[in-house]
Amino acid sequence: MNTSETTRQEADRHASKSWFATIFARPEIGPIGVMLLLFGMLGYFSIPAGEFSWNPFAGEGFNALGIRNNLKVISQLAIIALGAGLLIIAGEFDLSIGSMIGFAGACMAMILRWGFSVIIPYLSFEGGIHLEFFTLLHIPDVSPLGALLITLCFTLFFGWLQGYIVVKSGLPSFIVTLGGLFFLRGLTEVSLRSFNHRPDQAKGATTVTEIPDIKNIVDVPGHGEMEREAAKALPETDLLNILKDVPADTVASLSERLAHTYQRVADAKTAIMTERGVKPLERALENAIESGNEQMVTTIQDKIATFKIDPVVAKSVTDIDIARAYIDTLHSARPIANFFGGDIMEPVFDWLYFPIDWNTNNFGNQFAQGLYSCVMICLIMALLCYVVLSRTQAGNWIYSTGGNLMAAKANGVPTNKVKIALFVFSAFCATIFAACQVFEVNTADAARGNLKELEAIAAAVIGGIVMTGGFGTVLGIIVGAFIFGLAKEAFFYIPGIDGSFYRVFLGLVIVASALLNENIRKRIMGAI
Amino acid sequence: MAISDAAPLVETRNLVKKFGAFTALNGVSLKVYPGEVHALLGDNGAGKSTLIKVLSGVFPATDGEILVEGKAVKFASPRNATEAGIGTVYQDLALNPLSSVTRNFFLGRELTHFSSPFALMKMKEMHRIAAEEMAKIGITITDPEQAVGTMSGGQRQTLAIARAIYFGAKVLILDEPTSALGQKQQMEVLKTIRRVQQLGDIAIILITHNEIHARLIADRFTFLSLGEVIGSGTSKDLEGDDIKRLMAGGAEIGDLAKELAV
Ligand SMILES: Nc1ncnc2c1ncn2[C@@H]1O[C@H](COP(=O)(O)OP(=O)(O)O)[C@@H](O)[C@H]1O
Ligand SMILES: [Mg+2]
Repeated sequence: MNTSETTRQEADRHASKSWFATIFARPEIGPIGVMLLLFGMLGYFSIPAGEFSWNPFAGEGFNALGIRNNLKVISQLAIIALGAGLLIIAGEFDLSIGSMIGFAGACMAMILRWGFSVIIPYLSFEGGIHLEFFTLLHIPDVSPLGALLITLCFTLFFGWLQGYIVVKSGLPSFIVTLGGLFFLRGLTEVSLRSFNHRPDQAKGATTVTEIPDIKNIVDVPGHGEMEREAAKALPETDLLNILKDVPADTVASLSERLAHTYQRVADAKTAIMTERGVKPLERALENAIESGNEQMVTTIQDKIATFKIDPVVAKSVTDIDIARAYIDTLHSARPIANFFGGDIMEPVFDWLYFPIDWNTNNFGNQFAQGLYSCVMICLIMALLCYVVLSRTQAGNWIYSTGGNLMAAKANGVPTNKVKIALFVFSAFCATIFAACQVFEVNTADAARGNLKELEAIAAAVIGGIVMTGGFGTVLGIIVGAFIFGLAKEAFFYIPGIDGSFYRVFLGLVIVASALLNENIRKRIMGAI
Repeated sequence: MAISDAAPLVETRNLVKKFGAFTALNGVSLKVYPGEVHALLGDNGAGKSTLIKVLSGVFPATDGEILVEGKAVKFASPRNATEAGIGTVYQDLALNPLSSVTRNFFLGRELTHFSSPFALMKMKEMHRIAAEEMAKIGITITDPEQAVGTMSGGQRQTLAIARAIYFGAKVLILDEPTSALGQKQQMEVLKTIRRVQQLGDIAIILITHNEIHARLIADRFTFLSLGEVIGSGTSKDLEGDDIKRLMAGGAEIGDLAKELAV
């Protein structure tokens, strides 16, 4: 017999992998593939019919405005998917996210619109038993930061409460937060209706409107703080006065920029009018070719080649125009509102318009002003979540709480605190989402955030988060949000297909991802 | 293995544990010495698990004392016991199969740059220590990022044991470490136990159903039956038949053989 008493060890059976195999063993690789596919689809299908280009940025999906709008949808979803995803990794669910968005938005909007009051209700017996309200405290003007902080007090407390009930009762978080879903949505509608009996609001409406455009309040020299649009509508003498104190080089660059814009608009008009003139000739040409009249064909072709109209003359730049353009460059006097609802990267988008001439619409104007600020907020949050989840002790606690609760407990991990903290974080993400919406559109609606909790969970699952907990990454969550957002847009552009097919597609992707995730989980658990 | 004449590392005196009217342990006394493997044997329901749960701070004792290095101790929680140097490796090993060797090794006691849950972990150092500590008791791991779920049962045992030792266990309690494993893996675990023993200063309490394993590795034996010690001694004191008889709870195997023959 030939026995080999060698020094072979168990570890030797663990073949070392090449970098290629290592990359393809990453759980995010499948979702990233789907994301790239959708990216290509959206790029390709959004190119107008009859044209073709290998450049995905040529179509409407990824022109400047397309990028602006798509990234907004994606990053807003990613913000709540981070909250939902981290909680799922720790083994729990939050179905109250959508209602929390509606609640937080309404809360913030009401405070911005009417101020903040502490009211004590009591039973009154004068003239029949009814409820009366005693106003203990009323602060009429609350800053954007104040409104956000007060709202956070409510939402974070509610998140804490849900977490506390889950860990203390041992009930499935599904059912506890399902209660939260109904409770918060109902509470939002009830509060909005009871506030909206005021004379300045439509009775019984579940919306808040007429909040000033806070992020666009600017400090205009000589006029104090006012909304940007109001400043631009000031009398011409005032506008000229404002311009007096502006440095000469600023005026020069504004003027150069305006001249470019006016010329660009004039060129676009010329192009449109030329096209309008050529169109009937082209139709005639087709007819001529059909009828076989060669002489006619050459004549019309000649006419098309030499077709010309007088170029449209560009508007001249006036000082009033420069003053208005200057007001557009003033920084917001409400940085918090601007942080959530404003735009970012405006200089880049300006540069793309002038001198690059890419960020230009059909009429020659600048297409997109910048990216929505929620893109930056999403990036900051994703980065922080990545560091916490992958690099810190807290991250290891989150993974172990969802991966093996008993093991985590036995090793001294404060699993209850971890779970409660993540319920609070989920509420925080929903509040940030609401803040981005409220400060962007200056309205609130009790119906906001409907079904968002399910979209957030879907994005997390698509991004490789295992539903039973303990497994997943922040990069995966972001990719999941990208897939969700891109699918919505891509299917809209596919010619001859109902836009709602994106839901059919996402339904399939969700189940496929869940199957894949489960397969990965089983492989790691050694079951296959 | 030589029986040391050092003072016992852990001693229990007349330990009593009652669950309501039910007496699970009825005055159990035992001494565990450094560098020794102390086998705790007994039939199902004898009280072995209850004894180690009292020792590891899961249950408080109803009566009696626990002494660690001669000093009486009282454990209010498993954490107290760990701090006193009693490291328990449970049957389910308290590992998170979905995460890496290193993350499991340091679970709950991660090395961080400063003291806060949000401080960055010293990942490189953690990888190095985990690999070194496991190598000390006989397993080289190629990839400290490997998920624990993909490791063999024996490797998981080694991980759990190495972890307990690294975090200051002077007494290692192993609850049926070989029961769920295949033959080869069982031998791996016994070898690991032997290496821990050879470190010299660690005492090991080994709970097992397997008489062969006990005889292979243990220096001292304690037999429990119905919550009481029915026999104890060093491996020299006990002959083969004694061990079998005592493991069965004191019934004569010979009698049983007769009964079955009828
Ligand atoms: N938490 C408990 N409550 C009540 N009875 C228990 C509890 N734990 C163990 N017992 C009882 O104590 C006895 C000893 O159990 P255990 O220590 O698990 O035995 P072993 O591990 O030796 O098989 C058994 O009869 C068991 O039913
Ligand atoms: Mg037992």
